[in-house]
Amino acid sequence: MSIIQVRDVTKVYLLGKTQVHALRGVSLTVDKGEFLSVAGPSGSGKTTLLNLIGCVDTPTTGLVEVGGLDTSKLTERALTDLRLHQIGFIFQSFNLVQVLSVFQNIEFPLLLQGGLTKAERAARVNGLLEATGIGEYGRHRPSELSGGQRQRVAVARALVTRPALVLADEPTANLDSQTGQNIIDLMRDMNRKDGTTFIFSTHDPKVMAHASAIIRIADGLVAVRELVGATA
Amino acid sequence: MRARLDATRVLLRIAFRNLVASRVRTVIIGLIVLVGALIVVVGSSMMESIDQGMRTSIQGSLGGQLQVYSSASEGQLELYGGIRGESLLEPIPDFARVKEVLGKVPNVKMIVPMGIDQALVATGNVFDVTLAKLREDVRQLQASPGDAEVRRGLEARKAHVQRLIALLAEELTQARVLVDPNGRDASLRKAQRADLDHAAVPAFWIEFDRDPLAGLEFLENKVTPLAMDSGFTFIRYVGTDVAAFMKAFELAEVAEGTAIPPGQRGILLGKQYAEEWLKLKNARRLDQIKDKRDRFHARIAKEEELQRWVKDTRSRAREILAQLDPLQAAEAERRLRPALEAPAGEELPALLARLFDLDDANFDRHYQVFYEQLAPMLRLYKISVGDVITIKAPGKTGAFNAVNVKVYGFIQYRGIEKSGIAGTTSVVDLQSFRDLYGYVTSDKAEELAKIRTQMGATQVSREEAEAALFGGEGPGRQVETTRAAAIDERQLLAGVGAKRKAAKAEETRAYTQEEIDHGVALNAAILLHDPGRIRESQAAVQAAADAAGLKLKVIDWEAASGMVGQFVLLLRGILIFAVIIFFGVALVIINNAMVMAALARVKEVGTMRAIGAQRRFVVGMLLVEIITVSVVFGLAGAALGGGVVAVIRATGGIPATSDLLFFLFSGPALLPRIGGTSVVASLVLVLGVAVASALYPAWIAMRVTPVEAMSTED
Repeated sequence: MSIIQVRDVTKVYLLGKTQVHALRGVSLTVDKGEFLSVAGPSGSGKTTLLNLIGCVDTPTTGLVEVGGLDTSKLTERALTDLRLHQIGFIFQSFNLVQVLSVFQNIEFPLLLQGGLTKAERAARVNGLLEATGIGEYGRHRPSELSGGQRQRVAVARALVTRPALVLADEPTANLDSQTGQNIIDLMRDMNRKDGTTFIFSTHDPKVMAHASAIIRIADGLVAVRELVGATA
Repeated sequence: MRARLDATRVLLRIAFRNLVASRVRTVIIGLIVLVGALIVVVGSSMMESIDQGMRTSIQGSLGGQLQVYSSASEGQLELYGGIRGESLLEPIPDFARVKEVLGKVPNVKMIVPMGIDQALVATGNVFDVTLAKLREDVRQLQASPGDAEVRRGLEARKAHVQRLIALLAEELTQARVLVDPNGRDASLRKAQRADLDHAAVPAFWIEFDRDPLAGLEFLENKVTPLAMDSGFTFIRYVGTDVAAFMKAFELAEVAEGTAIPPGQRGILLGKQYAEEWLKLKNARRLDQIKDKRDRFHARIAKEEELQRWVKDTRSRAREILAQLDPLQAAEAERRLRPALEAPAGEELPALLARLFDLDDANFDRHYQVFYEQLAPMLRLYKISVGDVITIKAPGKTGAFNAVNVKVYGFIQYRGIEKSGIAGTTSVVDLQSFRDLYGYVTSDKAEELAKIRTQMGATQVSREEAEAALFGGEGPGRQVETTRAAAIDERQLLAGVGAKRKAAKAEETRAYTQEEIDHGVALNAAILLHDPGRIRESQAAVQAAADAAGLKLKVIDWEAASGMVGQFVLLLRGILIFAVIIFFGVALVIINNAMVMAALARVKEVGTMRAIGAQRRFVVGMLLVEIITVSVVFGLAGAALGGGVVAVIRATGGIPATSDLLFFLFSGPALLPRIGGTSVVASLVLVLGVAVASALYPAWIAMRVTPVEAMSTED
């Protein structure tokens, strides 16, 4: 069952006065439960693709469907709601709210959603703190943590709403390779346990190796979608 | 609902923590807001007090709530005079009509006719006054030659005059030291000196006893002019229906003396004016020093101004000497010696020098001695209650008119006794004003108007009046001369027994309300039942006047106060301008700080947006931050402002150190009062400015897209 449908998508934006064709007709289907890596050199359009899938941006032409909804037909507010309820984000530079504690950072999306009691929220957050191996840091501020620990917080924050899809843009780029490896392992664990769909971009071959499939992008086109045998 | 609540809670949490996290920025913005609120609260409460003082002073003493005057007037009504003197107003020919028409307008309580002008008053110097008394004594002795009591009085008076001559001679000798004896006017001065010496020798007084009237004539004509203090002063007066005036302006009260009897001619001198211009300088200086010492804790030893006043007091002791005849002088010595613990036998000049040798240690005691022992024997004011004074003023066409009026008392206004506005204007009956002004009845006014049209001159200026005077028999001149002749006659008659009584009769004649109302007025004050509905009533009064064909202009008290009102307006303008400048700068600084903050948080905001925060969430977050800072620091500033105001009040207010301030503050000190409105206004203003300065940064925050969070460069 597909969670993402991308069909003949182009994306053109203006950089000064020149038109930049970031995507030139990309088609892609992502099924539920996939652990997908988007690979390609910088400028190849992989971030643009992730933005479109993440409902952060809409295509110039073509169709992007997330959870069966055509994103180009949604209002800004509806797109935001879609992100809040369906998608989790993990960023290259973690992007935690500095003034909130680790616990509060993870709780944040739940508060935006609303609807859960305090105890329910605490249960969820604590569960994820344990699952991501940072149980004892709940009361710490992000600035007191190492890079790897911060990215674990980010993973927990992305998962706390139990989204259908988690997008991670170069989640390991700012980490040393061992820590990066650990984060990928963690994401893979979550993928296996809950069946959450992960799409992450990377240009680290070692990271790619963990993916269930790799989409290679070059010059705004999907060059090839290859399955990674080891994990299939 | 619950979702909103949760989101709001986290929004507030982030906002507050951001404030704490960036405390330097918070404090900077906060301090700006605090100072702003402080300025607004203190400034506006001072302004409010000035306003209130002005309002009370003007509405309660002369202005009422509305003023009407002829719309044909060339100038504008300025109750307190303008740069070029009094306002040039066309007369309202028949006040009764105005009273009748406007009295029917709802909310109008009273209409008080007025005519404001300046006049010259002959005060007489000590010499004049004493000679007048001497003449009276001579007359009495001639009437009953055998009366020993009268003879003793005359002898004392003669001694007083001789003493005055001696003092004058001394004064003249001193003045002569400064002047070249052979310079210009040398012969005139020599003649004057000869006259004075002539009056000083015993032979003159032996001759005086033989023919007192000739002696008096010599003294009045030759010696009096040598006295150096002038015998004239200017007063500013309002001619009005005195009974109505006293009723309308409830704060008005007679400070000394009695009210003018209903319908009669008379004058109440402005108390404030009398203090300033008519009071014996020594007494005035003592009052001023006492005031400075008591209220501002000024000390003679420290204040140059007080030292100058003390010196002035010392040098003016002669004025007191001049007032006392030998009997009184002896009595004064008797009283002063024990009070000042002076050695027996010390004479009055030395005693006075001792009395006025003031320092901080002896001031209060000497002040008391002056007022308890000496003052009852002195003529403290140049014009006393009960005097009949002659007021002269140029009439409508430039010819001088004069009336004699009795001084019934001094007028002051309760609660604003020290105001520079109230109490400087004297109150004269309307008939006397009309005599001075040159119109008597509405008929005459109409006649004059007609004549003027016939002559083809709409406005008779002084030059034109002169031309008319030299240009033969103009009908307009006839009217004026008749009027002037009548008054000259009255002046001439004053002093001659039988006819004097006729003049007296006019002075004490009671005019009916009818006579008072039917006649000329220059303007009229309107008092309202409800002063709060001033705008509405102004329109209603104007409409009623227009409907009745009365050519009147209706203005409010503020406009009528002329320069005074404009000055307050100017002051308020300056305050508002300063506030605007301050908040303009504040706006830029706060805006800048907030923009920097917003830009620094683009990534954070982008992240929040990516995670699923709506635009209103991030905008709300920024606004909460700025509003919190504004409210907290704004309240603190307002409280601090309240504290400043309280401290100012506790320490006796801001002292009025100059005449201008005295005038502005409606008294010797400004006691600012915190008004609820000023606090609320300041908070609203501060909040408004803060929110306005947060709008652009909020817009920046709103425009942040989640893409910014995704951007990989850091």
